[in-house]
Amino acid sequence: MEDLHARYADRAVRSVFIYTHEAHPGENYRHHTSMDDKRANAQAFVDHSNIKREMFLDDLEGSAHRTYGGLPNMTWIVGRGGFIHYKSAWTNSADVEDALNNVLDFQENRIKNQWIPFYSERSAWSARPMDKFQEGLERAGPQAVTDYQGMIERNKAKRAPPSEDVAPRVPGNFYKTEEEDGGK
Amino acid sequence: MSATDYNYDVFTGGQEDFLDFAMHAPKVTMRAPSFALEELATGETIEMKDLWKKGVTVIEFGSFT
Repeated sequence: MEDLHARYADRAVRSVFIYTHEAHPGENYRHHTSMDDKRANAQAFVDHSNIKREMFLDDLEGSAHRTYGGLPNMTWIVGRGGFIHYKSAWTNSADVEDALNNVLDFQENRIKNQWIPFYSERSAWSARPMDKFQEGLERAGPQAVTDYQGMIERNKAKRAPPSEDVAPRVPGNFYKTEEEDGGK
Repeated sequence: MSATDYNYDVFTGGQEDFLDFAMHAPKVTMRAPSFALEELATGETIEMKDLWKKGVTVIEFGSFT
């Protein structure tokens, strides 16, 4: 996303990051009990990941984050007047870039082409580099690793194995087979 | 939701949050709600709607963990 920010800056696209609660709190990066906690963790993130985008903090109650859906790593694209063009449960820079190009095309050509925007939905996908994710959990602290493992174990029984027809069921994939859906 | 509930100290996870996002969060073509945000670098408070006043804004939500 940093690369996307750099490449689209000259097309008057503003890219920002809004810091939320800690998705996987641990001993090293704890849950926030004050705005100072949040500022410290956000700064650590900026320093570690070399974030060049503007970094903003939501309030301690997560008012903005919760209103926008409260998921751990969403991306939204908002146009002039606050028009929501794109919302995604997870962040995949290729998918964001594809949507962004459509938005810029629309903005640049809508009057000439008399385009009228309408609502649409589609799926998106990304690889899930579990080694990097595990690294992140370990960086947060042993509790973050344990808590995540606990969630995996609790949900194991509910999680159907992927098949050729059905992609892996991760959070944000709502697919159910006919059998799982009670024959509907 | 209180700050204590929002800032959980134990991650439990769940698919329900994702369904909530799909069904109840603002939808594409709606107007994005605006909230006060603190800019980390300066400590200044801005309104979210200032972000998209002049053009397109890409907003990523997240945390270090």
